[in-house]
Amino acid sequence: MAEEAQEDGATRTLPSLRRLSRALPFGRTHGRLGISSSGRPIVSALCSQESADPQQTALLLRKAWTLYSVTPLYRFRRARLRDYARLLSAFIAAEKQKGLAVEVGVELDIKVALSSLADLRGSELDQAALLVQLSSRSRASSRNSEDKLVWSGWFCSVFGDDLSENLPEDFTSLPLFLSHGAESYTSLVGSWFQKTFDCCFRRLAISPQNLSWMVAMWAGCKLDRAAAAVELVFSVPRLSQPLDISYAIHPEDAKALWDTVQKTPGEITQEEVDVFMDCLYAHFHRHFKIHLSAAKLVKVSTAVASAHCDGIVKILQSQYLPGMLMLLTELAISQIQ
Amino acid sequence: MKRRDTHTGTGKAAYGSHKGETRDPTQTCPSKALRELRRTLRGGSIMDETVAEYIRRTVLKIPRDEIKMMLEKWGFLSEAQLQTLNCHQIKDSISQEVVQLCEVTITFKEYEDNAIWIRIAWGTPYKKPNQYKPSYVVYHSQTPYVFISASVLKSNMPLLCQALIVASNYHDIREMELRSHSLNSLKDIVFKRYSQNFQTYTTPLQGENVEPENADTRIVQENRSEKERIHRLNQGDFGSGPQPKLEFAQYRLETMFKSDPKMDVLDKKEPFRCLVKFSSPHLLESLKSLAPAVGLFQQAGSVELD
Repeated sequence: MAEEAQEDGATRTLPSLRRLSRALPFGRTHGRLGISSSGRPIVSALCSQESADPQQTALLLRKAWTLYSVTPLYRFRRARLRDYARLLSAFIAAEKQKGLAVEVGVELDIKVALSSLADLRGSELDQAALLVQLSSRSRASSRNSEDKLVWSGWFCSVFGDDLSENLPEDFTSLPLFLSHGAESYTSLVGSWFQKTFDCCFRRLAISPQNLSWMVAMWAGCKLDRAAAAVELVFSVPRLSQPLDISYAIHPEDAKALWDTVQKTPGEITQEEVDVFMDCLYAHFHRHFKIHLSAAKLVKVSTAVASAHCDGIVKILQSQYLPGMLMLLTELAISQIQ
Repeated sequence: MKRRDTHTGTGKAAYGSHKGETRDPTQTCPSKALRELRRTLRGGSIMDETVAEYIRRTVLKIPRDEIKMMLEKWGFLSEAQLQTLNCHQIKDSISQEVVQLCEVTITFKEYEDNAIWIRIAWGTPYKKPNQYKPSYVVYHSQTPYVFISASVLKSNMPLLCQALIVASNYHDIREMELRSHSLNSLKDIVFKRYSQNFQTYTTPLQGENVEPENADTRIVQENRSEKERIHRLNQGDFGSGPQPKLEFAQYRLETMFKSDPKMDVLDKKEPFRCLVKFSSPHLLESLKSLAPAVGLFQQAGSVELD
């Protein structure tokens, strides 16, 4: 990681989340794989944002979301959300009839709701997020029993204009998809969207390099009293017996370290992330003589959010939601392109 | 006195310092201590129904001709008691007899290596002791160590520790934070019974199979030298015997953060607080296979800084 060539040492500043400059927020290579190693400013994405509707964001926080990239949707019409909900509902019922049942046992009617989350976007150039919710009401129970939310998924785009700006008219770009709930429902919903809008879902993995970015960014966030530790989890492959190493640092100490590494507030460069990680690795090596840089970083976790290399994230605080989504949107777009 | 749980969990590196013991451990009188322990935990010799039932059912499960042998093996009945047992009765009667001969709720058994196994069934003032979920405590009377099975509930742990301290006449008990499914492995580590050579003595790799992956003899030679080197280093750190089977180890670091001066980073005067956990189905084997050598367990108890 530390050996990557710096293409361009200068950093670009993104003044505020609301005013988008035409420059790419993250220096991005043109290749399909990887994000550029040059300066990637992160900025006010991390600072407190006037949050969107708190009720909406409450739905999104403190849940483990599985990430996918989605290619643009063909002929998706915002006005037809009710129709789509009905069609998806029928599709799910039909699949259950066919015996591709989702839940064994209790007979469940699945109700589908589609809604737009207008505030969940980066700029006006982004599409508003689309939320899909599956609720169940047991047939056996009484009429006025409440629906129980069994699955939710949402499509979004936060500063995803890298993808959207070149699209032909009939396409809607919502490259990031997050799901929470049974895998069987995810594949049902995914199949329907794929058939209906001719798009393609792919699991979004998070590389160790990107995990390092995340942990460095989040370690520097303002802490409240009972903040959780900054934890990095490594797995050492190819051994006779698998080995997992968890390296947790007191959040104040991690923040103190990051504060001395980060040169300009509001900006983060790859170099700074590398220095931060190297410091942590060196400290570990002094004690255990193990090079963590040779192990695989599989999960990072802080008081702000946590992320796993298999593409599972959990966001714990609403003010960091936009910044996180921006980074994830970029990862999704890289995977699509 | 230190104690260890015998299932996965956290493990402290430090073997720790002994808290002041109030008497010389070599003077322990095991049976007196055990009586104390029993009294402290209020285990009586009153047989109650659930226990009786448990014993009865257990005996019934054994094929008749194996009962006596099994009871001998269990060893909680004395020779005399075993003699009196009539094994030609119907199994039902046999089991009834066994029940009558038994004492329950807390049982003790001494083994050869000075280990005393204590089996405890937990109950409350409102519930009878649950014989199906016992906990075990293994105490080596000549040592300040105690091994406790993970089946002890968190709520019962303080009581158990208190009882152990009182019974053994120690002053404090502290968890060592090393856990494993293999009690013998824990004992090996605690009693430092595994072979750990500190000299770098080279043993030539006789008879080791080095597959020639490549026709190029120079590469094969390199591989062989590298393998020899790793083998030597591992010998030095781990010894050549089989490793104790440890699953989890935890280290709390509170050392100063020192960095490369040219990196111009953190230079706090306070410790950098970290918690490191290693886990693996067989931790020492996996660490051993991390080449080159890991100086991990050489520094037993202390964390060295350069």
